[in-house]
Amino acid sequence: MAVSDNTSLSFGERLNAVFAWPVQLLFRLFEIPLSWVQRTIGIPRMPWIFLLPNLAFFGLFVVVPLFINFAYSLTGGAELFLQNRVYVGAEQYGYLMDCGSYLDANTCREDRFWKAVYNTIVFVFFQVSFMVLFSLITALILNQNIRARGFFRSVYFFPVLLSPVVVALIWKWILLRDGVLNAFLANFGIDKMLFFVDPAWSMFWAIFVSVWAHMGFYTLILLAGLQAIPPDLYEAAEMDGTKRERVFFRITLPLLWPNLLVVLVLALIKSVQIFDEVFVLTGGGPGTATQFIVQYIYNTGFTNQVQNFGLAAAASVVLGVVLFVLTLMQLAATRRKDG
Amino acid sequence: MTEIRLNNVVKAYGDVEVIHGIDLHVASGEFVVFVGPSGCGKSTLLRIIAGLEKVTGGDVVIDGNVVNTIPASERGLAMVFQSYALYPHMSVYKNMAFGLENSRMPRAEIENRVNEAAAMLQITPYLKRRPKALSGGQRQRVAIGRAIVRDPKAFLFDEPLSNLDAELRVAMRKELAALHTKLGGTMIYVTHDQIEAMTLANKIVVLNAGRVEQIGAPLDLYNKPQNTFVAGFIGSPRMNLLDAEIVAKDGGLALSAGGQGIAIPAADGMKPGDKVTFGARPEHIVIVGEGEGDIVASVDLTEQLGGETYVYCTVEGLPQLTVHQAGQLPVHRGETIHLRFDRSSMHLFDASGKVIVNGFAS
Repeated sequence: MAVSDNTSLSFGERLNAVFAWPVQLLFRLFEIPLSWVQRTIGIPRMPWIFLLPNLAFFGLFVVVPLFINFAYSLTGGAELFLQNRVYVGAEQYGYLMDCGSYLDANTCREDRFWKAVYNTIVFVFFQVSFMVLFSLITALILNQNIRARGFFRSVYFFPVLLSPVVVALIWKWILLRDGVLNAFLANFGIDKMLFFVDPAWSMFWAIFVSVWAHMGFYTLILLAGLQAIPPDLYEAAEMDGTKRERVFFRITLPLLWPNLLVVLVLALIKSVQIFDEVFVLTGGGPGTATQFIVQYIYNTGFTNQVQNFGLAAAASVVLGVVLFVLTLMQLAATRRKDG
Repeated sequence: MTEIRLNNVVKAYGDVEVIHGIDLHVASGEFVVFVGPSGCGKSTLLRIIAGLEKVTGGDVVIDGNVVNTIPASERGLAMVFQSYALYPHMSVYKNMAFGLENSRMPRAEIENRVNEAAAMLQITPYLKRRPKALSGGQRQRVAIGRAIVRDPKAFLFDEPLSNLDAELRVAMRKELAALHTKLGGTMIYVTHDQIEAMTLANKIVVLNAGRVEQIGAPLDLYNKPQNTFVAGFIGSPRMNLLDAEIVAKDGGLALSAGGQGIAIPAADGMKPGDKVTFGARPEHIVIVGEGEGDIVASVDLTEQLGGETYVYCTVEGLPQLTVHQAGQLPVHRGETIHLRFDRSSMHLFDASGKVIVNGFAS
């Protein structure tokens, strides 16, 4: 429709007309080749054509790098380009896995890798536990008929919308030696605390900030699960004389279990992948106290003086296998929920 | 055996009062049905009795004890919900046993009760199944079974058949009636379906907009409605209600409706000039020969159901009339018919809707 055709058009309609014509033009441009393709390959194969852009994107930026990464993991040396690198077979994996005892990182040839693994295990254990626990508690509270419920639901979800770097910078600002928290504590005569100098405090704040930043998302999943439980069941339980804790453990929890399982596995996957927040917050320190597996890969491949692409790629593959297993668990959990 | 009393019960949500001072007595062993249109407060009233809603005013009395502040679980009542409210993650057995386990009843006793109720309701083969593996009717039985095992003082049913298909509803209705006979307990049943109310109840409570319109035995409500609401609500198809005026005619009285005069015997509370509503049930209007009828009507539609016929017809100046005749009646659209009203079953209501006459003496 030409804009000047009709002066009685509303502003919205005019705006629509202005933006519609390029879209229509684009459609017409596509129509000619797509009609030809449809005639050539037939309608049943047309969905592949529409999927092609996404498949190409996914292939180019996910599948191909995956294979290239695997290829790098089988090579050694400091050369950047794959064709110049030396094929070493599974040597990088052997180097990573070469340990006197897997329970003691110091007995491993690549002790930094195992320290990062142990740090990640500690982080994942506490972060996921607290994440699920606090998300559940928050969801249970937000599911009650409390005042300003909508406001609180938004507030708890808000950190999810923030960039991890922003989250980390906010907390760094709070936790630094001359930060807001120390200024607050000073009012009570408490000495300044060097949170990022103490390994335990660093780990604590890495876990705390990560839980704070992502809890809203999991709370939302659990809240949706709680709201899907028919209120009649609680009334039936009330008529049955069921005590509150028994209602929680025998009705709420079993009915929420599929959601909890999804939250657990999703939180686990995200937790294993932790990098940006902690990297900005603690830089992996003090020492390597909060250096986790992804940061180890990043450092090994890109920031160490000797950039060991092969070792970083091998560690990536190991991490990839772990994440693959966790994803399978998540899929199984989701399928069980749907079923 | 349990009797339940409601004394001037009021329920309000904030400023909005939904139950306006209801008085009711449910005698021991009685099957009482609350019936009324959607939003009339029948479910709210049931939930108040159950203890799932708190009263704003008045008293709920069970066996002589005011239970206003007593929680639902301690009132000794069992409720069957519209949605069945079965715990989906528990087996049928667990669903039925759950309430008993709460009261720490010995396992053997629980098993005994569940098996007995299951046998009574013919659900023994399904005890190990989850609710989702059951049909609607079977779920309904489990919900009833869950109530039975608790051996409650009274059973409360909140539209328990509304999720079932028509055929199953009829079957379950009969089973509920049989169950009441067998158990003999006090039962309060909520429905918007007046056929359920008529077939199940010893006593019907007709509710409208949070008020009791009439309480009585099913046929009392049918034969002697106290107002136009009950007259129109009880009976299917509904009673024909026509606006009319009482006029003097040939030394007696007549109803003037739509320009037609229907002679009526004199009765207390009627005088010429009164505006009234005249009610006649479809089965109390007879199609007669020319010159024998009270009014002349034109047929709009005929529904032949085999054993009975419904004729929908128009009289000029009046709303459409429904006439029910037994058997198969050969009348067709556009035909003129003559209708006669059975005086002994005619109802007259005053301008405020209150009854003046329920059937003239013949």
